[in-house]
Amino acid sequence: MIVQQIFNGLTLGMSYALIAVGYSMVFGILRLVNFSHGAIYAFGANIVLLLVSLELGILPAILLGILFTGILGIVIDKLALEPLRKQNAASITSLITTIGISNIITNLLIAFLGSQKKSFPTLFPDGSITILNFQITYTQLGMFVVSLLLLVALMLIVNKTTLGLAMRASETNIKAAKLMGVNVNFVISFTFFLGGVSAAIAGALISSYYSMAYPNMGYMSGLKAFSAAVLGGIGSLPGAIIGGLTVGISESLAATFFGSEFRDSVAFVILIIVLLIRPRGFFGKKEIKKL
Amino acid sequence: MKKYQKFALSLIAILLVIAMAGCQAKTTENESDSAPSNEEETTQETFRIAVAAPITGDNSEYGIGFNNAVKQMADEWNANGGINGMMIEVVTYDDKNSPEEAVAVANKIVNDGITAVIGHFSSGVSMAAAPIYVENQVVEISPSASHPDYSSIGEYIFRNNTVISHEAKAALDIAVNDLGKKNIGIVSIKTDWGVSTAEIVTGLIEDMADQGVVLTAHEEVIEGSDDYRPAITKLDEAGTEVVISVGMYNLLAPLAIQYKEINPDIELVGFSNSYSQELLSLGGEAVEGVAFPVIFFSESDQENIKTFVDSYNELYGSKPSALTAQAYDSAGIIFTAVEQVGADDPAALRDAVAELTYAGVTGTTKFDENRDVQKDFTKVIVKDGEFVLMNEN
Repeated sequence: MIVQQIFNGLTLGMSYALIAVGYSMVFGILRLVNFSHGAIYAFGANIVLLLVSLELGILPAILLGILFTGILGIVIDKLALEPLRKQNAASITSLITTIGISNIITNLLIAFLGSQKKSFPTLFPDGSITILNFQITYTQLGMFVVSLLLLVALMLIVNKTTLGLAMRASETNIKAAKLMGVNVNFVISFTFFLGGVSAAIAGALISSYYSMAYPNMGYMSGLKAFSAAVLGGIGSLPGAIIGGLTVGISESLAATFFGSEFRDSVAFVILIIVLLIRPRGFFGKKEIKKL
Repeated sequence: MKKYQKFALSLIAILLVIAMAGCQAKTTENESDSAPSNEEETTQETFRIAVAAPITGDNSEYGIGFNNAVKQMADEWNANGGINGMMIEVVTYDDKNSPEEAVAVANKIVNDGITAVIGHFSSGVSMAAAPIYVENQVVEISPSASHPDYSSIGEYIFRNNTVISHEAKAALDIAVNDLGKKNIGIVSIKTDWGVSTAEIVTGLIEDMADQGVVLTAHEEVIEGSDDYRPAITKLDEAGTEVVISVGMYNLLAPLAIQYKEINPDIELVGFSNSYSQELLSLGGEAVEGVAFPVIFFSESDQENIKTFVDSYNELYGSKPSALTAQAYDSAGIIFTAVEQVGADDPAALRDAVAELTYAGVTGTTKFDENRDVQKDFTKVIVKDGEFVLMNEN
């Protein structure tokens, strides 16, 4: 049973990892924890559901949903965060702004789409394969594969393209990057776009795994993914994945040994322990400016 | 020292001013509150009934259902001239199924001078608001609270729903006698209602030990979580044949989907709060064969039930659930009582509600000395994507 529970945890962890990647990317460049990321994830899932209900077909709906969510990321940056950066506002102001944005997005979703849970179509065929006595459903396999592909794609973009070079330069020293002619505002918008894209992919995958989507789905998952990102080292993409998997497995094992009612607390206990013992997480850089 | 004295004096002065202003505001509020109710007493133009339920949030389907049902009953009475010429107005309050909001809503209802409430939805929330209604002589009829302690909170608190101990017996009866299974697992939500219901079911299973009935595992989950796989793995490892889902459709549907992924033969039994279209749309194929006891079945052939179901469907585009039908009857009870004794005397209204016998779409309703009702159960099962009566084997 333990191994099966670890498997459950791995899949759960993969879903947290997908969301955590968005947190890490934005933090890496802006030193800002984007607390609206959970809401962007919920937006992504619900937009895909809406597009599917317009009979566009699953794949076009997902692609369009990803595009829209990426645009949402850019809109959030341009409307709310860039003006604050221009005014040299304190970092905590941007932080609180993202919390407010999270509320706005969630409540707009509730206002327009209704707060009930709605059925989400399955993306992968039913059925499972059995490896060494353990059942892995096609959906779980699909989630693993897509997450890995997404991670690889993101790392390729960041490490092998010129735009990625610009992102890494901005991450290291944003003023120097500006002096070197990097269009920093474009880089930041692109980062938010990527964040939105990964959130939408996460939203579509996870909603299909649970067969449902609803406006509030970003709240708990967003917070747990934040813990995962911190555990892995916020700012590091591989760290986000490792952190996500760790949180997922711990949650599953906690449910096994202590009971399902302790699941939610695990992620936060981990967060507190990490911040007390090793705030930079597994792969994070040494200097962390605590707010 | 002088600076401190000045500061202390000014602080006291400010506090005094605020206190006086507060008292003024309260008295003016009271005056303006009593003014309209005086008007109401003399002209008696409308009778206002409140609906307090979750209109938004996870359980909004139920709250919206209550609101629709009470409106439907009010419109039917108004079409026939109202209550002795007095038109009925339905005022809706959203408690978001949270105890804190419910208390705020209850206070609002009292302040708005309303003397009858249909609500709230879940037991814990209803019990949070009930003391306010008792203190202010407002009759509360909950169409859905099933916690054993609810109606004993006060004389103004009525329950038009089965007490969960009877429903639990019926659910267990389905699992053991109709489905023929002996290894029973429980998945329950961690709320007031979930915890006490799970306790009752556990006790009943122990009573049936001589029939070979065994409790394999009991997992408590947080209401509203999406992932039940760790709990399911535990239940499955313990050899569970039938799962009693102590939760609403938002537990039963994902539970069915996720459980059938690893064990397609698992049987699931729910409670009457699973009886809703949302169970079918969320659960899809996975909820085939799910069964539960109800006291109202919308496909019934009875004349008054058919009329109710058809007009509800015409008005709101969906079939009413058991709890919605209970809300409908509860409104009818209030209006009948007001017809008998008028709307002026809250105590007389309460007595009338306590004593009358009401023939409605959920059978004959009469409140016993604990202000609970006794109802007979029908067994319903999901077959081919629809709710049908279970055949007695």
